[in-house]
Amino acid sequence: MNPAAEPELVVVIDDDYAMRLSCRKILAKSGFQVETCENGAQGLEAVARLKPALVLVDLKMPGLSGMEVIPRVREISREIVVVVITGYATIDTAVEAMKSGAYDFLPKPFSPDELRLIVQRGLERRRLALRSNQAEMERELLKRRFVSFVSHQLQTPLVAIHQYLSVLKRLEETEDAAAKRREWFDRCLKRIDDLQALIRDWLTLAKLEGQCLAQRRVRVDLKQTVESVLADNAEIAAANQVTLDSRMPDECLVRGDPNCLSVLVDNLVGNAIKYNHPAGSVTVSVETAGEEIELAVSDTGIGIPEEFRALLFDEFFRVESAQSGGTGLGLAICRKVATEMGGSIHVESEVGAGSTFRVRLPAWRGEAPGDA
Amino acid sequence: MIDDDPDYRASVRCLLESEGFTVSEASSGDEGLRLLAQDPPDAIILDVMMRCCCEGYGVTQAIKFREEFAGYRDIPIIMASSIEQSPDELFPMASEVGMIRPDYYVTKPLDIPRFLDVVRRAVAKS
Repeated sequence: MNPAAEPELVVVIDDDYAMRLSCRKILAKSGFQVETCENGAQGLEAVARLKPALVLVDLKMPGLSGMEVIPRVREISREIVVVVITGYATIDTAVEAMKSGAYDFLPKPFSPDELRLIVQRGLERRRLALRSNQAEMERELLKRRFVSFVSHQLQTPLVAIHQYLSVLKRLEETEDAAAKRREWFDRCLKRIDDLQALIRDWLTLAKLEGQCLAQRRVRVDLKQTVESVLADNAEIAAANQVTLDSRMPDECLVRGDPNCLSVLVDNLVGNAIKYNHPAGSVTVSVETAGEEIELAVSDTGIGIPEEFRALLFDEFFRVESAQSGGTGLGLAICRKVATEMGGSIHVESEVGAGSTFRVRLPAWRGEAPGDA
Repeated sequence: MIDDDPDYRASVRCLLESEGFTVSEASSGDEGLRLLAQDPPDAIILDVMMRCCCEGYGVTQAIKFREEFAGYRDIPIIMASSIEQSPDELFPMASEVGMIRPDYYVTKPLDIPRFLDVVRRAVAKS
């Protein structure tokens, strides 16, 4: 804060009395001017009247929700920083809030220090934000939250498994235990498998971040990659009553890393099967597009609502929170692989009709200087 | 019991039933608050971190402060979380701002004898 200037004004919008009270006390102690409002409508009125430096808004309120408040605050003035107060694990909602103009989010429960820090950071960055790329900064913030979010994701299945086993041990010789044992062992194994998938995806992503993968630039026959991925997925597709199809020229050579390409194609084909309808189909096609090769994976599945498409490739983003299983990292990996190889990925979709993921990769044009 | 993990609920329900308790389950804070009005329990076991926005902390505040839950304020709340933080660390300003803390706090995974002891004490108190 700048001690010479007027104390900066913070407006807190939250329907929870205790939350308003504690935010007021904590922020007043740090020398901010604080105004509190108990609903979205009152909050917007105060924001329009007082033009605060920063607004703290709860996402979940009766009446006007936080999500509705954010764009209206941004309409009043784009210089007002909005920080969202939200439940810890609802990162998808938080991402959505950030896309609609929130600067950062504060997961509940939070300590006074966390509140002060986030408010101060918001105000500091507010000045910088005027001359930097907003989208880049939001990405960076999410990255910082990544570790704490992952540790929660790791702990939850371990707690579930531990509890199953400890209860079974305690009830060892009883009828209850005999009845539950088989079912619970299956559940434990399922949770362990999910956890392994999460760790595997997380590591893949970490390696891609560290650029130890995707750095090789060799000649890869995309046709072979696709054929082997389709063969690997044949069983699961049959189990889901989904047919797999491909349309490829005889030769489609790209420049990149064969293992990373396999991961990319496998993720796209896996999703296309998982989010499909019974009796649906998945089509993989490859064609040349100038200096690039385009790989398209199309499904006849549930489709993706438009508002989610921009967020789809973000880490841990899920359209329906966790209902479908999965780690929430698959498409983040796909994007990383595509961009590391000098290509791109995007999605076209129609709700109820299906989605097509298109990946463009550089075509192989012989050895280039610096290739491994 | 309010917790978003169905596997965790299944094992804890079985444990409590084997000790003679009756358990109703909710998978989110909102569902838990609805259940509270339908069928008031003798104690609430509440997860701190859930997927839904209205997580454990919000649920506690709702029960203790919102008028509509005035009749349930005395039901003991047992907070459970896998993060190793005592309520005092979680709510450092609690006393200063008059925030009400959960009555009991247990760490996940549960230490079974200790957890059962806490549940018995909570139920006896209500």
